[in-house]
Amino acid sequence: MFAGTLVYAIVNSFTLILLAIGFNLTFGISGVANFAYGALYVLSAYLSWMMMNLLGLPFFPSVILSILATTLFGALMYRLVLLRVRGQALSEVIATFGIGLSILELFRYLGFVGFEYTLPVFFDHSFIIAGTYIDMQRISIVVLGFLLVVLLWLFTHHTSTGLAFRGIAQDERTALTFGIDSDWIATLSVSLGAGLAAIAATIIIPLGSISPSEGYDVLIKALAVCIIGGLGSTGGVIAAGFFIGFAERFTDTYFGSHWTMIVSLIAILIVLVIKPSGLFGQQKELEERI
Amino acid sequence: MSTDNIIEIHKLTKVFGGVTAVFELDCTIKRGELLGIIGPNGSGKTTLVNLMTGFVKPTSGKILCNGKNITRMAAHKIIQLGIARTFQMVRPFYQLPAFKNMIIPLYSPRVKQMLGGRYGDRDAVALDLLEEVGFERDAYVAYKPAGALPQGYLKRLELAKAIALQPELIILDELFSGLSLAEVASIVPIIEKLRQKGKTIVMIEHRLKELFRIADRIMVLNFGCKIAQGTAEEVMASEEVKNAYLGSER
Repeated sequence: MFAGTLVYAIVNSFTLILLAIGFNLTFGISGVANFAYGALYVLSAYLSWMMMNLLGLPFFPSVILSILATTLFGALMYRLVLLRVRGQALSEVIATFGIGLSILELFRYLGFVGFEYTLPVFFDHSFIIAGTYIDMQRISIVVLGFLLVVLLWLFTHHTSTGLAFRGIAQDERTALTFGIDSDWIATLSVSLGAGLAAIAATIIIPLGSISPSEGYDVLIKALAVCIIGGLGSTGGVIAAGFFIGFAERFTDTYFGSHWTMIVSLIAILIVLVIKPSGLFGQQKELEERI
Repeated sequence: MSTDNIIEIHKLTKVFGGVTAVFELDCTIKRGELLGIIGPNGSGKTTLVNLMTGFVKPTSGKILCNGKNITRMAAHKIIQLGIARTFQMVRPFYQLPAFKNMIIPLYSPRVKQMLGGRYGDRDAVALDLLEEVGFERDAYVAYKPAGALPQGYLKRLELAKAIALQPELIILDELFSGLSLAEVASIVPIIEKLRQKGKTIVMIEHRLKELFRIADRIMVLNFGCKIAQGTAEEVMASEEVKNAYLGSER
């Protein structure tokens, strides 16, 4: 039972990391807390579903198109709405949450609820690891989650756009003095975040179904991981993903699944009491130093 | 347009809500000079810098750089014309070693354009630049995380970041504030060396004694207006300047 729990805890951790990484990227770079994040996740899944089931497109073109469409949607959301309330954190939260709410409730209104709304798995195959049945989709989550984290790290540390990203994350005004257009970088950050939400949806949705309430769930999970990890810190997302991922699965197995939610919430509280800026968050300490 | 003026400012006004930070200011910055801008707190010095570098858009008036109108140009485009600035409050990458802090300026569009993308080994260039501003060569200090550096080095790092952009005009916003006399004395030669290389420098400063030693010309602001300009002796002799700093007896 222990080995099985361990395997599923790893899968769960990578699921959480995948869910949180886009939200974290956007926040880390432009300071925009994209509360439409869960809605974008669901939007891309519905888009893929519609392209496959209503237009009859094959799987891969559908998901690629919907990932691109969601990325574009993120960029438009920034240029048309967020640019106008830029720098006002509360307005940004309200605006993005409003957009998210409209998307999710529109799908609910249109009747997109039920078990038939789901995406197919990549490979229909399963095998046994450490005496536990595990399917290819869950393995894909681990592999792709890992790859995505590595790619993102390479991007932010070894490309000039990535460097510009880190520059604006550090200080927008300094970035401007170096000739970096901060509005353009912020647009990219929101749109890349949206794209990452879409990628996460493509990989994770096949294990369940698409529903508007999934959007709220994803947002809460992403927020929990980012807050525990320290908003904007990629290392923090990974550490917090494993922290909550393991806590949830081991609670499931040894205490019962009705405790799962409580354990992760208590974990958030404990971390925030001990380290208010999250495990890897350094914002607060640095501000205190000056 | 005469080519010996790098910046020309005409009737520049900036109103923040009900506060007039800069009012109908006319001034020019000559190529190759070191202009000191002084004035009591709240006299509009930093606002003037923010206006020149595009961080704040003026309410009215005009700013020309080499004859080109830059009044409403975006901040990231103004730097492409060769106007670099430092900030009063230093904001380095605290976790990165000091020399790694130079990566963003060394990868910036301006540097790429100036040097055609060929800049050699960037780490070496960063170390050279840091040496230029007084980080001792072959000492550990350049490899320390910026967060562990004392204020004097942080200010030098800020200066190095501006120099890295290969600017024509460098605007130093209170570079000397928070530094000891000895530290200021060690930075002055760096500034003089920049001038020998033909850079134009504008210094906003409260450390008047140190500024007067190196500045060619001083401009005094009070309540957003220019109240005096000329050599250090001339402006200090002005009644209006004395009143601005000490208060008038009326």
